[in-house]
Amino acid sequence: MSVLLKLEDLSVSFATPRGALKAVNHVNLELLKGESLGVVGESGSGKTVLSRATMGLLPGTATRTGTITYNGQDVTALPKDEVRKLWGTGMAMIFQDPMTALNPVRRIGSQLTESLTVRLGMDKKVAREKAIQLLKRVRIPEPELMLRKFPYQLSGGMRQRIMIAIAISCGPEMLFADEPTTALDVTVQAQVLELLSELREEYNMGMILVTHDLGVVAGHTDKIAVMYAGDVVEYAPTRALFKNMKMPYTEALFKSIPRLETPTGTRLPVIEGRLPDPTKNEPGCPFANRCPYVQDKCRAQAPPLVDAGDNHFYRCWFPIGGGQ
Amino acid sequence: MSNPTEIADAPVIVIKKRRRRPFGFYIAGTWVAFVVLVAIFGHWWPTPKWDDSFYDSLGVGPFHRSHILGTTQDGYDMFSGLINGTRISIFVSFFSVLVGGSIGSAIGITSAYFRGRVDKVIVFAFNVLLSIPNLVLSLALLSVLAYSDENNPASTPRRVMVLLMSLTIVIIPILGRIARGSTLQWSSREFVLASKSMGTKNFTIIGRHILPNVAPALLAIGFLAIGSIIIVEGSLAILGIGIPGGASWGSMLANGRGNLEFSPWEVYMPALAIAFTVISCNWFGDYVRRALDKRESKI
Repeated sequence: MSVLLKLEDLSVSFATPRGALKAVNHVNLELLKGESLGVVGESGSGKTVLSRATMGLLPGTATRTGTITYNGQDVTALPKDEVRKLWGTGMAMIFQDPMTALNPVRRIGSQLTESLTVRLGMDKKVAREKAIQLLKRVRIPEPELMLRKFPYQLSGGMRQRIMIAIAISCGPEMLFADEPTTALDVTVQAQVLELLSELREEYNMGMILVTHDLGVVAGHTDKIAVMYAGDVVEYAPTRALFKNMKMPYTEALFKSIPRLETPTGTRLPVIEGRLPDPTKNEPGCPFANRCPYVQDKCRAQAPPLVDAGDNHFYRCWFPIGGGQ
Repeated sequence: MSNPTEIADAPVIVIKKRRRRPFGFYIAGTWVAFVVLVAIFGHWWPTPKWDDSFYDSLGVGPFHRSHILGTTQDGYDMFSGLINGTRISIFVSFFSVLVGGSIGSAIGITSAYFRGRVDKVIVFAFNVLLSIPNLVLSLALLSVLAYSDENNPASTPRRVMVLLMSLTIVIIPILGRIARGSTLQWSSREFVLASKSMGTKNFTIIGRHILPNVAPALLAIGFLAIGSIIIVEGSLAILGIGIPGGASWGSMLANGRGNLEFSPWEVYMPALAIAFTVISCNWFGDYVRRALDKRESKI
């Protein structure tokens, strides 16, 4: 399979009054056609910035370095209107909060057909037919009626389905889902994730699923990148990661998933401490202050990305289960 | 046990969904509509001339056979005066809110949408204007722009023009700030980002996505502003620098002030007209806001 998206040495920093804030540091990732990659990390670890940087949706205070190759084409070098053509038809994004992402005063129909008429140049009738098909595809009952409704008449899950329908409307090859299920309740979460996986297979889309929940990515991704303080600290095929995690941070994340078998009233394990200040450039491993296995070497020198074979990479001096 | 067919045949109770509006909405709405109609068509109402003095009936009380609301001590018909005053008061307040509101929201929306240094300057200017009480601001503008003393009195049209202008200037920052705040909130939403990403022109985005969302707030505040402008106009008249000659409600109040002990209706009538209209505008504005707020109900 061919490579769809390749990030090489991607860094993003923001200009703030306290100096440069490094949000993403030298990230290398690769996504094949039709493959899905989970990006996991706690709040502030840079996962949303990573996906926005790839899309080219960063605010003016951000600087982006490194290269982003999409379909063999360097996106960072493209002029603005070329990038614009890529949005929607090439890369599309599903936003985090379906409650606020839709315009409350416009009907679902007009919001759904807008990109079809603008980007694909369809005329109104064709676009309407296509919109009905899309709504059927995301399993919304009575799509003809739905076109006449306003967002406030729909539930959260329905709105997220509408968002998904809008995102896939122009047939993108690459879908960014930025915490698509955080605003939804658990049963709806499962349905939405199931739908995303189905659509991905059907349209052979690449997908980057950004989340803070390892449980979400487990069944729906091929590979997982764990991010911490702007670094990718572990990167492996999903199965290998869950079976053989190397980085203590991944383990800590994994342990903080609530489990059914623990007795009621047990406190959920938390990761003590906080993320390091992203405006400061401290030596050593960024996770050192919170790591249960920390040793002197960790505080002195940042670990490099180690290749453990079988596409498994990690960033740790003293990996769980020993090196290699 | 009832069998299934019985249940199926049971009459289905249809709950009629009818949004109940509070009673006050109808009262306020009716009064506002009535006042506006009088302002537009009151000219053709067959009443005695408002600016003629009836020497045969000076200062007669209400329910007089030819002067339904009585006359002033100078023999002016109260009812005709009120009808005529409606035209001026309503025109002045609606005009200044409409014009000032449009200018203010245009400034507010564009400055909030584009941000930057210009936005900072505009916010500062709004704050400066808002820090001066309405009455003091229009008082200052009026006395500078339509200065008059006994030797060279300012003409009435000139005074009306300047009054309109100063009231408009009073309104600009009030609605401008509301528009700005609301735009800030809406322009950070994803559907605006999505529209930008499609290369939609900025002013199309403002017209299609921002304005329809900002409008309800502006409408509600606009009605409140109409109420307060009527009061400002009345206060200016009482201070003697509004529209002279008893031509507006405030002006009638100002003229009748001296005759309170002989003919109190000279003060009561215009005061009641002002009070009813202001309260109605406030209520109506409040209901408009509440009715339009439902667009984005939370789940």
